[in-house]
Amino acid sequence: MSTLLDPPRRRWRTGPYWLALQLVLSGSLLLLFLLPIYALFTYAPPQRILSDAANPVVRAAIGLTLFASGIAVLAAVVFAIPLGYLLARRPFRGRSVVESLVALPVVVPHLLVGVGFFFLLVPGSPLYRFTTAIGFPVYDTIWGVVLVMVFVSAPYTVLAADLSFRAVDGRVLEAARSLGAGPGAAFLTVTFPLALRGIVAGLLLTWARAVSEIGGILILAYTVYPGGPYNGPVTSTLSVLVYNLFQAGDLKDAAAVSSVFLLIAFVLFFLVRLGERSGWVPWRRGELLP
Amino acid sequence: MSVWSVEGLASHVDGFRLGPIDLDLRPGHAVAVLGSSGAGKTTLLRTLAGFVPADAGRVVRDGVDLTDRPPEERALGYVPQGLGLFPHRTVERNVTYPLELRGVTDALERTRPLLERFRLTAIARRYPTRLSGGELERTAIARALAAEPELIAWDEPWQALDVEARYELGRVFEELRETAEVPVVVVTHDPSLAFAVADSFLVLRAGRVGLRGDATALLENPADAFTARFIGFENVFDRATLEAGPARSFTAWLRERAGPEGIAFGRPEVVPSTGLTGAWEGVVRSARPTPDGLAVTVVVDALSVALRMPLPLSAPVPSVRAPLRFTVDEKNLHPLGPVGLSSTDHP
Repeated sequence: MSTLLDPPRRRWRTGPYWLALQLVLSGSLLLLFLLPIYALFTYAPPQRILSDAANPVVRAAIGLTLFASGIAVLAAVVFAIPLGYLLARRPFRGRSVVESLVALPVVVPHLLVGVGFFFLLVPGSPLYRFTTAIGFPVYDTIWGVVLVMVFVSAPYTVLAADLSFRAVDGRVLEAARSLGAGPGAAFLTVTFPLALRGIVAGLLLTWARAVSEIGGILILAYTVYPGGPYNGPVTSTLSVLVYNLFQAGDLKDAAAVSSVFLLIAFVLFFLVRLGERSGWVPWRRGELLP
Repeated sequence: MSVWSVEGLASHVDGFRLGPIDLDLRPGHAVAVLGSSGAGKTTLLRTLAGFVPADAGRVVRDGVDLTDRPPEERALGYVPQGLGLFPHRTVERNVTYPLELRGVTDALERTRPLLERFRLTAIARRYPTRLSGGELERTAIARALAAEPELIAWDEPWQALDVEARYELGRVFEELRETAEVPVVVVTHDPSLAFAVADSFLVLRAGRVGLRGDATALLENPADAFTARFIGFENVFDRATLEAGPARSFTAWLRERAGPEGIAFGRPEVVPSTGLTGAWEGVVRSARPTPDGLAVTVVVDALSVALRMPLPLSAPVPSVRAPLRFTVDEKNLHPLGPVGLSSTDHP
């Protein structure tokens, strides 16, 4: 059974019809990716995009989204990479259970996740009192946004770290040990550098997933009040802002704000590419992003 | 200058049991560990290097018991299968790695002679992904020597090497044996190359020592069919094959001289077709020129026998299906069986 992704086995299959079929099928998918973006950018006039980009409400929402997603990425660095290493390197009973648990956030609809967190952390609940007492109030604060973001996005880093640590050749590690490296030195000089590229790719996915989250945030932190590390104006994440604008019938602004955010995302990905080209990053060009 | 002794070493990996193995390693002496896949060659090296815990026995270096020491404290230059080069480091930074670990600040300076000795200077700044097989091998051995090991343990040096690189590596090994102050253990399943570099051999079979000795001892007494084939005998016949021959045939003649497990012999010489009684006759199946003469295969009874016609050829190249006569010197026959096996497996 061969699929379209398999390399053709025989020469005669790579005829012009085969090539045309490939182009039509892959082209359709690319078009599907491109069209809604195109619609967003063209619906609102460029002046509106510029003026919305300068609007303090939009700026606050973008700032909050980038800030919260940044914390989510940091949380992934601190918590998800060790879990990935554990899964990759330490055989333990119940590993498959843990692996399923890691995949859970990818499968569960995020609105349900928000509802679940809501039951846990709604004002009046024991966990609400506890988190408030230790200075991490979650309901309608930036911590709520971060919490949902970590839930939905950290699995990408866990999986990437797991795969990357697994891919490190054990024999290279043994060579390092025999050359005099203790377990810690071998991890720092061999395992981690070799896994880093894959881990960074996972962190990028984590970030992308975090900024695009809306479902859980709608429930747990629809409005974000200052508190914790956030002391800006009362605001919401960008996805919630666009949702609100759209619900209010303000379609031009919804499109313009979306465009602003897409531009920011493009710029960030472009910077990563630039980093690859100029050798700022510890991997070679074209290895992380295509 | 270190003397190593391995005493009754035993270990296991996933149900595979190795040992007990005894082995003495002297500086300037190279031991080749032979055996088919799954015989335990790699497990032996990994147990020596400290990656597989020993169940019994000891690894001793100059009177110091290393058995429970971690790999980094054994001063054992272990080159794993596939070499284990660091893909994220250039050739020179692969070689400086052991020095960097010790906090040596002028590591590049200090490893320069090694790079020159192994002709790595021109490629010092390249990454391993951009190197040829021979260059990779030289980098690996230079890196191992940079750590100033007390033993070189190399797993499958000739894996996936082209002919040129093999030749080059053979020279590196010879140099290593002549100049190095340390013993060398090399694991291989390529006997012809092992003969070129090793002073003595250890043949593993299913995790145990099947045979040991120097090249002459192995050739004189291959002991069993496995080892005989392994060290290059081309005519190896087990007992069951020999049972088939009719009386007074070549097969029967071999059967009378075979051991309990069969018989092995090198390539007998082809003799002129005229005269000479006592010669056997077969039908030519193939004839192939080699540097040592013509390699001919004939069929005698039901046996396929490899023969040799020395150069310069005294007769025309035999054609396929033509009859050909040959003699077998009884002195060159090696009976195979457990008797020979146990006599060579000294403790």
